[in-house]
Amino acid sequence: MIAHHLMLLKREIWEHRAIWVTPIAIASIVILGTVTALMFAGEYAQELDVALFGAQNVAGETERRMVLTALFYGSSGLFILALAVLIVFYSLDSLYAERKDKSILFWRSLPVTDAETVISKLLMALLAIPTATLVVIIATHLINLIVTSIWVSMKGADAGLLIWGSAPLFDNWLSLVIMVYAAALWMSPFVGWFLFVSAYTKRSPFLMAFLPLVLIPMLEGIFSHTNEFARVVWGRLVVIPLFDDLVDVGEIFGDGDWETEQKMVSALAHIDFGKFLSSPSLWAGIVICGLLCFAAIYVRRFRDES
Amino acid sequence: MTSLVSAQGVSKQFGSVRAVDDISFEIEAGKILGLIGPNGAGKTTLLKALLGLTDCDGRLSVMGLDPFKQRKRLMQNICFIADVAVLPRWIKVAQLLDYVEAIHPNFSRQRAEELLRQTKIMAGSKVKELSKGMVTQLHLSIIMAIDAKLLILDEPTLGLDIIFRKEFYANLLNDYFDEERTILVTTHQVEEIENLLTDVMFISDGKILLDSPMESLGDTYVEVSASGEAADRARGLGPIAESQMFGKSVMLFEGIGREHLDALGELRTPSIADLFVAKVKGARK
Repeated sequence: MIAHHLMLLKREIWEHRAIWVTPIAIASIVILGTVTALMFAGEYAQELDVALFGAQNVAGETERRMVLTALFYGSSGLFILALAVLIVFYSLDSLYAERKDKSILFWRSLPVTDAETVISKLLMALLAIPTATLVVIIATHLINLIVTSIWVSMKGADAGLLIWGSAPLFDNWLSLVIMVYAAALWMSPFVGWFLFVSAYTKRSPFLMAFLPLVLIPMLEGIFSHTNEFARVVWGRLVVIPLFDDLVDVGEIFGDGDWETEQKMVSALAHIDFGKFLSSPSLWAGIVICGLLCFAAIYVRRFRDES
Repeated sequence: MTSLVSAQGVSKQFGSVRAVDDISFEIEAGKILGLIGPNGAGKTTLLKALLGLTDCDGRLSVMGLDPFKQRKRLMQNICFIADVAVLPRWIKVAQLLDYVEAIHPNFSRQRAEELLRQTKIMAGSKVKELSKGMVTQLHLSIIMAIDAKLLILDEPTLGLDIIFRKEFYANLLNDYFDEERTILVTTHQVEEIENLLTDVMFISDGKILLDSPMESLGDTYVEVSASGEAADRARGLGPIAESQMFGKSVMLFEGIGREHLDALGELRTPSIADLFVAKVKGARK
């Protein structure tokens, strides 16, 4: 039974190669960028020596952690952006492509229920695709750290101290993993909506999915002079109730006490599970995602495809 | 003999059109049934109902299962090639075999590979790289490697050349069919499958016009070639169809004993195609 369900996921990976090709392509760019930067850094040898000396002898552990954490998240940004795009396009395509290329009758000629099919696509979008990206991000970080360590050692500095001793690897990675899966869960009503549109629409799923999201707030504004829809739907993209009260940006660069600084360089310390899991918005979103998936299953099951 | 398929008062309505109109029939195990009907007759809708791809009114049971409600279990014992079903273009042959092997409990990969070895299809090829004939061969190889009790073929040879069509049916008969299995096939090329069938069913405008074993067709339907005064006498017996050929009148009779017709001219059992045309035209009058 497990093999049966794993195969449903495997089939998705065969069809949607972008799931792993995209993060690997970005990884190549990021790693190449690092290598190129280090190669051309030779021109600023003097400044670099000063910087390395400063990092090693003047800066404290907290500063080093902050710089490396900033680099970690900076280099993850592109992946996360691509991940969001991947999930949107995957979900919109997942139940539409099989109808467009008419292979749906072949898939349905095999002993797989419509519910299993739709759920496999949901799991791809919320679990498998984020996992693929996370694995590639972590691998990219590791490669970058190794490359940079070698460079730092060649410069005569202490890579053990500057890189491995200062990089909060576990903290960064764990917080990244939590943030990505939590964000996937938080955005699940959007994925449910995309899956439903993908199963329902006769043409251009992208347009059909986004048009209502743009038109409804416009109509709402015109007719009732409110913006509830935009606040609830688009607002969801802005804030995830996963973190404790956000630290003031000024505070990060100013002087704080040791504890605050520790906290600021540890994203993990800002994550507040209780707040996330007790957020009614989260659960409302999950319920909406479930209902939309149910609708997608219903449509796939009952619609006549000829 | 047990009924593999049992339909009682099955109907399916699309808006104001009754695509399938109160149909009842039984299909016994070990038969090869040809389901023949003009375009829009309700054939495809009926097949879809049998396959659980669409719901319908009335009582329909396939191997004791409700096709629509128990589709997953049904699909473990039914195979089908739908006229519009195509294999996904992006998939590789080897991936397709992996997939069906993991999904279908009654699939023999070894058997599928044996069948594929007889073709030019390579395991590393993608479906989009194969010709239309090869895609059908691939689909058929997979279907024939599934140990299923009922095989439903909806226009399986559409768009294929005559050589391939002949091979297709020969394979089906030699490699697949046995008394355990049942095949339901629809096609427009009736002549090609006429000798293959054990039973035949005509359907038009959602209704069954004929449902008979092939061997008893000759008892009910007789074609007489007569000329002159014999032709007039034959006409008096009320043929269901008449056409002119080589100066003779060819008349088709239903339910009139051969002994009444023997003296009037040359008798033979009508071809399925002629019988079909006569029945459909008759029903539309």
